[in-house]
Amino acid sequence: MKRRSFHALALAAGLLASTAIFPAFAQNAPSDLIVAQAFDPTSLWPNFNTASDEINAGALITEPLFWTDPKTNKMMPVLALGYEMEDDTTILVSLRQGVSFTNGEPFNADAVVASFTNFMNPDVAPAYGRYASVFESIEKVDDNTVRIKTKSPYPALELALGKVYIVPPAYWAEVGADGFGAKPVGTGPFKLEEWRRDDRIVMTRNETYWGEPLKGIERVILRPVPDDMARAAGIEAGEFDIATNIPIANAAAIEAAGKKIVEVPSYRIFSLELSNLEMHPSPMHDKLVRQAVNYAIDKDGIIDGLFEGRAKHLNGQLLRSNQVGYNPDLTDYPYDPEKAKELLAEAGYPDGFEIDFRFPSGRYVQDQEVATAIAGMLEAVGIRPNMIQLEAGEFLRQLVGRELAPIGYVGLGPADDPDLQMSQYRSDWRYSYVSDPEVDRLIDAGAAEMDSGKRAVIYQELSKYMRDQASVAYLFQNVDLYATGSDVQGFLPRGDQLWMLYGVSVGDK
Amino acid sequence: MGKYLLTRLLYVLPSLLGVLIICFFLTRLSGDPTHLFMPVDATDEALAAFRAKHGLDRSLPEQFWLFVYNALQGDFGNSLRFSVPAMNLVAERLPATLELAMATLLIAVTIGIPLGVMAAYWRGRPIDTGIRYLAALGQSVPTFYWGIVSIIVLALWMRLLPTGGRDGLTSLVLPATTLATTMMALIIRVTRSSMLNVIEQDYIRTARAKGQTEFVVVVRHALGNSIIPVITVIALQFGVLLGGVVVTETVFSWPGVGRLAIQAIYARDYPVVQAVVLFFAVVFVFANLVADVLYSFVDPRVRLK
Repeated sequence: MKRRSFHALALAAGLLASTAIFPAFAQNAPSDLIVAQAFDPTSLWPNFNTASDEINAGALITEPLFWTDPKTNKMMPVLALGYEMEDDTTILVSLRQGVSFTNGEPFNADAVVASFTNFMNPDVAPAYGRYASVFESIEKVDDNTVRIKTKSPYPALELALGKVYIVPPAYWAEVGADGFGAKPVGTGPFKLEEWRRDDRIVMTRNETYWGEPLKGIERVILRPVPDDMARAAGIEAGEFDIATNIPIANAAAIEAAGKKIVEVPSYRIFSLELSNLEMHPSPMHDKLVRQAVNYAIDKDGIIDGLFEGRAKHLNGQLLRSNQVGYNPDLTDYPYDPEKAKELLAEAGYPDGFEIDFRFPSGRYVQDQEVATAIAGMLEAVGIRPNMIQLEAGEFLRQLVGRELAPIGYVGLGPADDPDLQMSQYRSDWRYSYVSDPEVDRLIDAGAAEMDSGKRAVIYQELSKYMRDQASVAYLFQNVDLYATGSDVQGFLPRGDQLWMLYGVSVGDK
Repeated sequence: MGKYLLTRLLYVLPSLLGVLIICFFLTRLSGDPTHLFMPVDATDEALAAFRAKHGLDRSLPEQFWLFVYNALQGDFGNSLRFSVPAMNLVAERLPATLELAMATLLIAVTIGIPLGVMAAYWRGRPIDTGIRYLAALGQSVPTFYWGIVSIIVLALWMRLLPTGGRDGLTSLVLPATTLATTMMALIIRVTRSSMLNVIEQDYIRTARAKGQTEFVVVVRHALGNSIIPVITVIALQFGVLLGGVVVTETVFSWPGVGRLAIQAIYARDYPVVQAVVLFFAVVFVFANLVADVLYSFVDPRVRLK
């Protein structure tokens, strides 16, 4: 072999090395519904954790008694048939009959009692302590009826009832919470076939499912895809049927590729905490200053500029427009920097002041960008913020430790009930930054009122009072973005990022 | 050689202990993980129970002593997230990472060395310039950027490959080539410069004078004598490769140790962070040891003492 033949050989070797071989894709069956979420669950027992990616996966297998349907915003019975109140603290729940778990155990009052007993034990379900503390006791009345007692009248009862997922008691006794989380058995539309950690969860259709079978779906495959961009690219390329948590910047391209974007107004409400607690002396104790902050912030600028319009106005209150107690008469503080300056001068700060402004980085969508924009707006009226950026874990610690003061950027997303929403502002709540006896009084009045109409009036009054006081600076309500393939019908998550596949079908697949 | 290996292994122990100490205290410096694991409205009792369950209510020295004591017995603690032994989580994800690392190594070596040889052989020609530009590009563009660009171009626009996941050979191509770029670039450069030194040597001229084919001259005489620096670079780069795994596995949804690491760090899952760091440290140390041993095989002049 002479020099020339070496040339030829080198070329051939180079070509061989640089051409990768592309065998055909591993094909998924057309009746597979592939869902890309951000995280792989740690447990498939939905009561293990409150993270939505985990509950969503587990709830395809294990079902609750009730589920608030985002399509109607009404509670619909799942494993229950309905309930009636015997008195203010006693609920009689009637159960669906003829249902069994996929291991053959019957679904009945014993299963419900066992599941509630787990739920109410803080050692077993510590993440749900707040809801568990609502319940006093549960007892079996007959095979298809249970009686639940609450410690006191509890207006958000339906919500608490819907949190409990029903497990087969004999299997649970055998494997415990950890074992159940790894290999759940339930009554739901799917059963677990395979779980490859961090890679995929494969579920097959439960042939003995009591409810309507889902049209066109034989298997559900949950894929954890942590990178937002990769999740968006995957749905655009047609690799996934459903993708959660789509970045706003990718939405247009996904729609252009013929896929659907599902916009869901989130339960998460964004605001600035303006602490008037005694432990946080600052100009924020002055109502005029808090009002000035509200006037200084350009809500439209944030919603249009940073969220491409995919966020909603709060209209000067912390309850959402479809919640009990929403006050339709309230509006946002208008954007009026001049008014803000006047109020500051009136409050005795004609030259403004310097103040700490704490915000998270990597906790909420575009949190740094929003905080930076707000800082600029405050600066423009003379409030000079020292920006203190906090990593997500430290942010949560400071939030709960009441250290997010005097100004803190927060997005609070509690469960869907005005009491659970507003009680976060009661002066003794762990992470409340509002100290106001009138606010406390109205929160207590709302919490004790079981009549929905009377509750609404109380919360409307509370919202109006808080707006006048400028107890917080009202910013916006988040919109969660999901993407689905063009042939996926009826997929609608809730504002707390939970979703079920009830009523979902896949077109002509 | 046996004695040499034994001494080297003994040197490993203090390094690993150092890694453990640094890792233990660094993770603790980042703060209490309790609030990340429990919902914001969790009750005080639930928070306290969580801390007690995982020993977070004890003093730091006490926690450290317990950790070392247990680690010496092979127990690296249970993951806070998964409640299973942290090392099991690492072991579970090891095959995926090894698969990726091996594919990366294969790509980097099979492309890098021939290109380096070609660049040296045709020094100063356009092909040399081209290869050098390629190497400079590969070394200067960050891995995550390659990853995202390759997803957009090859998976989204051309639909040649899947965007991510671990689903057969096709899904291995993008993460492995992404991860291989930096390493490949370095191998090209080192091979080229090492070859340039050798190719001028008298024994190369002698080999040609003997009438050896050009291929044998280049591959056996020239490459064979210039390979030691390349092996060193590959071994040292193995550590860099493991760092790259953390980013690449996340971008391509690859279910390996790197992704476990990043999740554990975000969640402050101390035991898992410790287990992963220790694992990476062991791999790093042993890759260097293997390189040393390889020298003696490739170059009989090197004797390990």
